[in-house]
Amino acid sequence: MKSLAIAEIVLLQTFRQRSNYFFMIVFPALIILLLGAVFGSGFRPALGVLDSGSGPLGESLIEAIDALDALDVTRYSDERGLISAVERGRVGAGLVVPRGYDETLRNGGSAVLRFFTQPGSLVQRSAVEAAAAEQNLVFRSARFAQSEMEASPDKALAAAEQAARAVPGVGVRVTTTGQAQPFGDTGRFDRGASTQLLLFVFITSLTGSAALIESRRLGVARRMLSTPTPAVTIVAGQAMGHLGIAISQGLIIMLGSALIFGVEWGNPLGAALVLIVFSLVGTGAAMLLGSLFRSEQQAIPVAILVSLGLAALGGSMVPLEVFPDTMRTIANATPHAWGNRAFEELIGRNGGVGSILRELGVLGAFAAALLSLAAWRLHRTLTS
Amino acid sequence: MSSRFDASEASGLHDGGRPVLECRGLRKSFGSLVAVNGISFHISEGETYGLLGPNGAGKTTTISMVCGLLEQDEGEVLLDGTRFTPGSVKARAGLGLVPQELAVYPDLTARENLRFFARLYGLRGEDARRRIDEVLLLIGLTERADEVSKKYSGGMKRRLNVGIALLHRPRLLVLDEPTAGVDPQSRNAILEGVERLADEGVGILYTTHYMEEAERVCDRVGIVDAGEIKAEGTHRELVDIVGEFDQIQLTATGDLAAAVRALGEIGAVREASVRDGGIDLITVHAPDVLPDVFAKAAAANVLVRRVEVKEPNLEAVFLHLTGKALRD
Ligand SMILES: Nc1ncnc2c1ncn2[C@@H]1O[C@H](COP(=O)(O)OP(=O)(O)OP(=O)(O)O)[C@@H](O)[C@H]1O
Ligand SMILES: [Mg+2]
Repeated sequence: MKSLAIAEIVLLQTFRQRSNYFFMIVFPALIILLLGAVFGSGFRPALGVLDSGSGPLGESLIEAIDALDALDVTRYSDERGLISAVERGRVGAGLVVPRGYDETLRNGGSAVLRFFTQPGSLVQRSAVEAAAAEQNLVFRSARFAQSEMEASPDKALAAAEQAARAVPGVGVRVTTTGQAQPFGDTGRFDRGASTQLLLFVFITSLTGSAALIESRRLGVARRMLSTPTPAVTIVAGQAMGHLGIAISQGLIIMLGSALIFGVEWGNPLGAALVLIVFSLVGTGAAMLLGSLFRSEQQAIPVAILVSLGLAALGGSMVPLEVFPDTMRTIANATPHAWGNRAFEELIGRNGGVGSILRELGVLGAFAAALLSLAAWRLHRTLTS
Repeated sequence: MSSRFDASEASGLHDGGRPVLECRGLRKSFGSLVAVNGISFHISEGETYGLLGPNGAGKTTTISMVCGLLEQDEGEVLLDGTRFTPGSVKARAGLGLVPQELAVYPDLTARENLRFFARLYGLRGEDARRRIDEVLLLIGLTERADEVSKKYSGGMKRRLNVGIALLHRPRLLVLDEPTAGVDPQSRNAILEGVERLADEGVGILYTTHYMEEAERVCDRVGIVDAGEIKAEGTHRELVDIVGEFDQIQLTATGDLAAAVRALGEIGAVREASVRDGGIDLITVHAPDVLPDVFAKAAAANVLVRRVEVKEPNLEAVFLHLTGKALRD
């Protein structure tokens, strides 16, 4: 098949460039490693705190939590802001120390700390519970001391026990809010690997358009037309070659990260489908770029800017949950957002193919639109 | 130097041959620019036809239409007597194009480049392998066949560029300035190859702006300027159309003034003058006049030591036709 011969040439053109090995293998590995290091184990979970006039005891509770050094404590000034931050994933959990906390406790009343959390924010929860328990202990001792001054050790013990039972102390009421955060219990490299897979498949596809531009610039593409080869075969061959580049990049990252970093990609069929459909999107974009530009020097900077821009918008640099609403809506215009959501579903929530049909459909539509536009454009540039 | 321009030889050899290519009234504009303005010519089996013209004359545009890479606005192309359009895919099997640019992959070896195009020409397996070896030998790249082509010299790249178009033994070979920027050695190799193919019966369309090349390899030449063929024919015919004269320079001793008077009486001699150490003559067709010249000079007791005949060349013809030089 002649289109296969053409596809083979596209791959040869690309893989004969030594620098591409760096950009396709070493570079993604470094980035995934880096992300794993930053957001993996070294990452401190965040806790949002709302202190609405709780008094000295409330203040000391918050200081105690902060002093644990296990959490990044951020203060919020109103409850809506705190809850929305939890829902967005900006903080893993939120703690509300109620108004009059200090007074209630001193008066022997029972104070309730409200704790908003996403499922899986265990670190924050245990930190708050530990701090609260400590405060309880202090209180018990205080009561114990108080009673000791009045009574004998035996009586004091009994009184302490009684006091301990009677001490209403601090209770923590946990409210779960928002959707389960994906990647909650996955490996430290999993999220980075999937977002970077999309970033790199796209950027490698677009910079791979250099092969097509070279063919056009050198006149080899037109020369192909002077042979008994129909223009559609040439276009198809180019598409197959560029798809090959995209899928190679995807497989390098998928297999490489699984082997080196132990990344789990979830449902294999689902992951393969996301990779293929996303690669088709990259192929369409690459061919469009390759048919629009006359020189590689013009196209490569555009390729890099577009790829990084779409990756940033589409949640391949910063997770989508952190985006404000308008940005999240805008993100839907990027294929990356859909790819990231599909991987979240597969890896983070152990979803199957059935749960990513919408994402696959949207990516398929992106691919179809870009590929047909590119094919039409390339056909035209070749034959006029 | 043996010339392929001899009128009798050219017409004797090719007039009876079937036309491999026929172009009728080709016209092509790019916006308001008329690049090709009604070009017609034909090429027979074994004939080498040259399009000689300066930069921007419309040579490449014509070739693109001949090869079906560009749709003409008007006119038609017949390949082996059959109408040829950009949609005619099968007919391209009879066509070999050597583009003006180096249309080879620099990161691939000569063999890989050839193998790729062999597949596009429909050659497969053992046939393809054998033919690739033959072509490599033909273009003198056997030794370096497995080196990436970007490491080749300009001449070697040009030869590879030509070789690709020979893979499928086309009936019509179209060469667009195949020797641009090469060393004399490679140029000679390419020209010899073209001559050999013509001897084997391949029809050849050869464009160049090198007058010497057109004179050497072409049986007939069309002089193109501004999208039109200004004149067409064998070298002799072209020169005769323009009515150019030959210049004969005699190096001689004796009574040169008397000799000049006598020589001036020969009908074909238009002008005769004494020059330091010799005589200059302007004549119609030098080969016909030379016997008379020798006779008259001898009669005038002038000893002729050396004769130099300067034929008018296509450069002069071009100058005459267009009022400008072929190359600036
Ligand atoms: N695709 C195009 N778009 C616009 N103008 C073009 C195009 N191709 C050629 N031309 C113009 O048509 C004219 C003829 O160009 P062409 O390439 O056929 O000349 P040429 O005889 O091959 O010249 P050269 O010796 O420089 O190769 C030139 O003025 C050129 O600028
Ligand atoms: Mg040209």
